[in-house]
Amino acid sequence: MKLSAHYTRTSIYITLSVLLIGAVIYYFAINYIAQQQLNEGLQQQLTEAEEYVRSSNQNPQQYDLDKDHAVFIRTNEQELQKRFFDTIYFNPKEQRKEAGRAVEDLVKLKDTNYKVIITISRAGQKYLIEIIIIITLALLAGLLLVLFIINKYFLNSLWKPFQLTLKEIKQFNIADVNQFKGKASKVDEFAELNEAIREMSLRVTYDYLNLKQFTENASHEMMTPLAVVTTKLDTLIQDETLSVEQLAQITDIYSSINKSSRLNQSLLLLAKLENKLITDEVPISLEVVLPAKMLQFQELMQTKDLSFKSNLQPRQVLANKYLIDILLNNLFSNAIRHNNPGGVISIELTEDQLCIKNTGAGHPLDEHLIFERFQKGKESQGTGLGLMLVKNICQHYGCTISYQYESGWHAFILSFKKTVADQGLS
Amino acid sequence: MKILVIEDEQGLRENITNYLNVDGNICESCSALNPALQKLSDYDYDCVLLDIGLPDGDGFGVLEYLRTNQKNEAVLIISARNSLDDKLKGLNVGADDYLTKPFHLAELKARLMAVYRRKALNTNNKLVFNEISIDVLGRTVEVNETAIVLTRKEYDMLLYFIANKGKVISKNAIAEHLWGDEMDMHDNFDFIYTHIKNLRRKLLDAGGKDYLTSIYGLGYKFIG
Repeated sequence: MKLSAHYTRTSIYITLSVLLIGAVIYYFAINYIAQQQLNEGLQQQLTEAEEYVRSSNQNPQQYDLDKDHAVFIRTNEQELQKRFFDTIYFNPKEQRKEAGRAVEDLVKLKDTNYKVIITISRAGQKYLIEIIIIITLALLAGLLLVLFIINKYFLNSLWKPFQLTLKEIKQFNIADVNQFKGKASKVDEFAELNEAIREMSLRVTYDYLNLKQFTENASHEMMTPLAVVTTKLDTLIQDETLSVEQLAQITDIYSSINKSSRLNQSLLLLAKLENKLITDEVPISLEVVLPAKMLQFQELMQTKDLSFKSNLQPRQVLANKYLIDILLNNLFSNAIRHNNPGGVISIELTEDQLCIKNTGAGHPLDEHLIFERFQKGKESQGTGLGLMLVKNICQHYGCTISYQYESGWHAFILSFKKTVADQGLS
Repeated sequence: MKILVIEDEQGLRENITNYLNVDGNICESCSALNPALQKLSDYDYDCVLLDIGLPDGDGFGVLEYLRTNQKNEAVLIISARNSLDDKLKGLNVGADDYLTKPFHLAELKARLMAVYRRKALNTNNKLVFNEISIDVLGRTVEVNETAIVLTRKEYDMLLYFIANKGKVISKNAIAEHLWGDEMDMHDNFDFIYTHIKNLRRKLLDAGGKDYLTSIYGLGYKFIG
């Protein structure tokens, strides 16, 4: 839920409850005040009535005040507590029953006690309260409406700079030359936010460039000694006095250097892929590239007496040539390396996917582990980065790679990204 | 052939210079950008071997210099950086080829000969070695004026061996040259033997001498 919606909801809840509680208190207060006034009026009339009775010595039954209703009842009671109470009485003027307020007291005339009850109409007071309630409710509704409108339109426009900032952050790419700008805002908080993000992006970009520089330098520093060792060995083997044993040792050193340099290059490539530093996409027809790859691996296949089986439909992808080369090299190498002698490699290319299957060990591999770094079989001579590279290249182009095992066949399935334009490995 | 090696790593520089200093080649070297520019302004070379990462500046400065002064040296870049933008940048500003560290000396020599041949192609597109004559444009080979048919790999191999004649070349280096260093060789180079055997037989059948010898499981040598 949006912040403005949260705010609207909370403010409406609070306003509503404050108004309702206020209305209740207000109602009771008005009621109380009105009652006090009625009581005062009654008291006055009672005093008038008593005085009148006392001074005129007349039969109280004949007494009547113009508007109000007074009743005298002869009673034997000697004591009566004066009390005010609500009642319903017949208003002779309006010719109907009405809610009224009454007072009851004892009046002494000579030796006779009279109970006097004076009633006045409460209709006016009720009417007043009704009006007050209606006005309060109307105010309440109006206030809610205004609150709602303010929250909806004013608050949203207030948050606009924030939305713009957010949009810019989402589009921020560390490898991009475009820096975070942030629209100037008159609101202090947003201006501060933009400033903080700008500073952060500058720092991050700086660190990133530093790291990139470091990676490149590290590569340089590592490749140069490897190059020195290689060239020294190349020079060393020119010596004709070397024994067979020494030559065998040198062969092993060559292999290790080869492996180190491939490892180093793979790590650099992974770093590059993770930082999305590889561009240069060109259309590549996989149905053309695959047979060429098969030819390239022909000799390796022959040493294990393997055979190819392929079914290739035309499929063009938009990708970096070098990456496709590495991707296929790794998949082919694995399919050969982990194959049984005399085994088969099957390659199927369709509009949706590329499937490279090979015969091999009679048990499935752990599909969660094989795509991780340095996860390799005990027998494997690889760098342990091959499938990790494959996975990252796939991710780079928004494709997925999965592994399946079925009765002796190990299948790696590359599912192309589905796009409207239908281009790209993408 | 006059060659200038611009490389800051001493061990590498010495090995390269020693390896190239045969067959009447004159190989000079320097270890930084400024002495290199000095040498290039004083003398003419056929080929320049250029390391991109130099202590006193970017090796691209050399390419810039050669281009602005309209010098005709063939340039082979050697660099530890294998990033593609470097590669494109280097080739765009006038380098003829690009070699990533680590590399085999045999590969370096073969590439150097190739860029040199391309530069000198106008005058001569025949590579002659004793009775073997190679037309590098038409990619055809004659032994004693008789054409022999070689596969693409055999042809590449022959050029590679002739460029490195008299040197022992490891199987590693041969495999990398023919199949590319990105291909995982599985440390199994037996399949090279088939190609060597066929090449040797074809040369012998056409009346050529037996130049190829095997060096105890390590590699081969083309006796010059």
